[in-house]
Amino acid sequence: MKHVLEGSHAVSEAVRLAKVQVMSAYPITPQTHIVEALSEYCSDGTMNARFLCVESEHSAMAAVIGASSAGVRTFTATSSQGLALMHELLHWSSAARLPIVMAEVNRALAPGWNIWMDQTDSLAQRDTGWIQLYCEDGQEVFDTTLQAYRLAETVNLPVMVVLDAFFLSHTFEPVDIPDQELVDRFLPPFSPRIALDTSDPFAMGQMAPPNIYMEMRHDIQKAMEQVSDIFAKVEEEFTEIFGRTYGMVEKVFCDDAQIIMITTGTAASTCRKVISDLRSQGEKVGMLKLKMFRPFPTDLIREHLSHVQKIAVVDRNFSFGASGIFAQEIRAALYNNHSHPPVFGYITGLGGRDVTPEILSEIYWKTKNSTAPEDESVWVGLMD
Amino acid sequence: MTTEPKHAEKISLFISRSNISTEINKTGTWRFVRPKYHEKTAPCSAACPAGEDIARIEMLSNQGRYQDAAETILLENPFPSVCGRVCFHPCETVCNRAGFDDPVAIHALERFIGDIAIRDELTLKLKKFPENGKTVCIVGAGPSGLAAGHFLSQLGYSCDIYEARSEPGGILRWGIPRYRLPDDVVASEIERIKKTGVKIICNTPVTQNFLQDVKDRYHALFIGCGHGRSLKMNIPGETMAFDGLEFLNLLRKGKAVPSNGTVAVIGGGNTAIDVARSLVRLGATTTLVYRRRKQDMPAFKDEVEMADKEGVRIVELVSPLGINEDDGEYVLSLQRMRTSGMETGRGRARVIPDGQITQHLRVRKIIVAIGAEPSAPWQFPSHKNAETLYLSHCTFTASEPPLLFGGDLTNTTKSVADAVASGKQAAMALDIFFKQGKHAITDRLNSCLVGNGPALSMECYMEKKPWVRNPHIVSHDDINLDYFSQTPRVESESLAINKRMNSFDEIEATFTINQAMKETRRCFNCGICNACDNCRIFCPEIAVILQGAKRQINLDYCKGCGICVFECPRSAMDLEEEL
Repeated sequence: MKHVLEGSHAVSEAVRLAKVQVMSAYPITPQTHIVEALSEYCSDGTMNARFLCVESEHSAMAAVIGASSAGVRTFTATSSQGLALMHELLHWSSAARLPIVMAEVNRALAPGWNIWMDQTDSLAQRDTGWIQLYCEDGQEVFDTTLQAYRLAETVNLPVMVVLDAFFLSHTFEPVDIPDQELVDRFLPPFSPRIALDTSDPFAMGQMAPPNIYMEMRHDIQKAMEQVSDIFAKVEEEFTEIFGRTYGMVEKVFCDDAQIIMITTGTAASTCRKVISDLRSQGEKVGMLKLKMFRPFPTDLIREHLSHVQKIAVVDRNFSFGASGIFAQEIRAALYNNHSHPPVFGYITGLGGRDVTPEILSEIYWKTKNSTAPEDESVWVGLMD
Repeated sequence: MTTEPKHAEKISLFISRSNISTEINKTGTWRFVRPKYHEKTAPCSAACPAGEDIARIEMLSNQGRYQDAAETILLENPFPSVCGRVCFHPCETVCNRAGFDDPVAIHALERFIGDIAIRDELTLKLKKFPENGKTVCIVGAGPSGLAAGHFLSQLGYSCDIYEARSEPGGILRWGIPRYRLPDDVVASEIERIKKTGVKIICNTPVTQNFLQDVKDRYHALFIGCGHGRSLKMNIPGETMAFDGLEFLNLLRKGKAVPSNGTVAVIGGGNTAIDVARSLVRLGATTTLVYRRRKQDMPAFKDEVEMADKEGVRIVELVSPLGINEDDGEYVLSLQRMRTSGMETGRGRARVIPDGQITQHLRVRKIIVAIGAEPSAPWQFPSHKNAETLYLSHCTFTASEPPLLFGGDLTNTTKSVADAVASGKQAAMALDIFFKQGKHAITDRLNSCLVGNGPALSMECYMEKKPWVRNPHIVSHDDINLDYFSQTPRVESESLAINKRMNSFDEIEATFTINQAMKETRRCFNCGICNACDNCRIFCPEIAVILQGAKRQINLDYCKGCGICVFECPRSAMDLEEEL
């Protein structure tokens, strides 16, 4: 049944239906609504789960690491500074191979204080070994959260479900919330491959000397390499039950496109409209929506972008001294490819600034009218 | 130490796992500060003239261990039911809870335990030294004499208490009115003292000759006969006024008659207040006249407030000039006084006549209660001399046999709790004298102080070891308030004002068990371990070990992080540097 829900609560509903057993979080705008609803579910008995109140995001992650090590399904959520504070334990949770799911609401980092949409917080965690999935709307957030548990628990790696601050977290949309029975069919109870047990005590995560550490790291990468296959299978099952599908990337008018715009999150929705307008004007433009950022879908990128003349990447993030992060990753993916069209990087919409249809079409025309990128990153919409 | 996953799954899961216990890693070697259980003194204990271990008493009560609680009180004070009713509870004034919401109702809880002990006829097991064959003669079966008997009996002495009146109790039996202190309460607690072997010989007024005669039969004398003679006002017509102590005495004998009309009570001490409040109950319209201001009254503040509430009119800053009889009534002439801006030594305003202003009060009866003194010259403690030790609550003279004065004769604060303190100090001083000689008295007493004194701990004295707790008095800042929530103080049921007018029924009721539970839960238990287990729960190294009921630090693993000390809500732990 469809409910009009804000994006945050689409996450909460998915967590409820996933029958998560232990949650821990520390409030931070714009994430707070997610765990606010969940804490109420814990206290009023809607969920048979424990909500651990902690004094920081670092402790929230530590708490779910503990719970996950004990073999229960866990959840946490955060944003911006909170995610930054978790950094150390993000490495820990992935290397400990714990299937934790976290909702991460993209918010700008301070200073200056800014609570609005910006992707730098989650992208700065790209090397922590977490799977990262970026969502476009409330329904995708709900569906992705459920899928995240299947994915995490199969590959034993943590998953970050990423959603835009306010544009998604606080926007009300109709979201189909299925019955528990259906969700149960898709997502069976968690049966951990390894779990702490007081009756048979052992320790996890202790010393790994040079003769073994590399193998352990390689093992994480092996698991990462299987994510795309498993994600595809999980989605297939999901589609069978719920009739919806997203893909690790989504092609829009890509097949005959000469220029492809790469977008993520809610900007993809805006871009759909821009593309369709440009198409009606006869422009050969397409859009590739990037949902999965880690593992980076290199094969799909190569497959869908090799044939185009130009690539325009819309980055709502920035790596200082380098360029937009998605653009970097796409350049890197294409470098060893037989064909590598020029990548035009555009920086826009930082700190909650709106990415309007005008901005996106400006990006398109700029790309079309330039023979080569004038710079690694072009900042769009800066004040004079 | 690393293992492949047990099941060959598609996804490899190569993580470190070990079945070797981490116990080999003795994290205790990292430590440079060490936590230790270190109990301290609660402010209430230090303020209690009897030095009761209040924090522990409230903890035991809260655990439902009423017998242990009663024994803990009785070790320091034989009168919990009496003191729970009439004490001016300095303990509550200093209660750390006062800085948080309201002080704990310590007096009501003491009374609750005392009453439970009486009601349930608890057989209390008190630590006692073996009998030493020495006998002490005690003069006066008031609170100090009875307390001296109780404590001396604990220390192995046999005691004979001589009492002039028909029943023991002194001020408890003949002074304090029944609405504050019912007879049966006094009788029960005295009975318990008698059961410890103390003999009370009533109807035997002690004279100086009697003392000469008995000198040879006793190894020591304790004089605690209180102030039996009222002070005089030295004004014309004084003989027409009635004596306050005598009035209370008649009242307790059941010989005071209901009266209507106006009665004037002169004075501002506890006796004056007791007289005034009793008169209200007898139907009189009562006016209390006092030469200083209300706030200067030596009577306990709570008592003055109660008198006020019950309708006693208090006229302050008037000094009696004379009494005249007129047509079967009396006219009390009063000089208006004013404060001089100076203070007396005791913090009261010094007052001087306010010009020639006088006023007159026409009343049916005048009762005077302006203070009292010993009724015979020999009852005054000996004046300063080299042979006499002047202690905080008694005097000790190493004569043959040793002679001690105590109770109101020596105490600055005339209260039951101070009388108990006096009996205790005298008993301890005498015991030290017999065992170690006079020179040892002061030092040994000082080693038994509660906090900074002057209260003494009989527990400490009998344990023969330095005070089991650190004399550091736990302050409000020492309490970890995170573990407490604001909770209103439980007030005992009290008789409605209109029901007090014609009745000497007790005003306050004893706490019910539920009330006591609620109120003891409010106690911070400052400075003592109440087994809350925070230290054990929070220890990241699981280095706090519970053995039976005792917690210990396993120094093999304690890293000295100090979390246990920080999380101890009540300052019962310390961190000390290791060298």
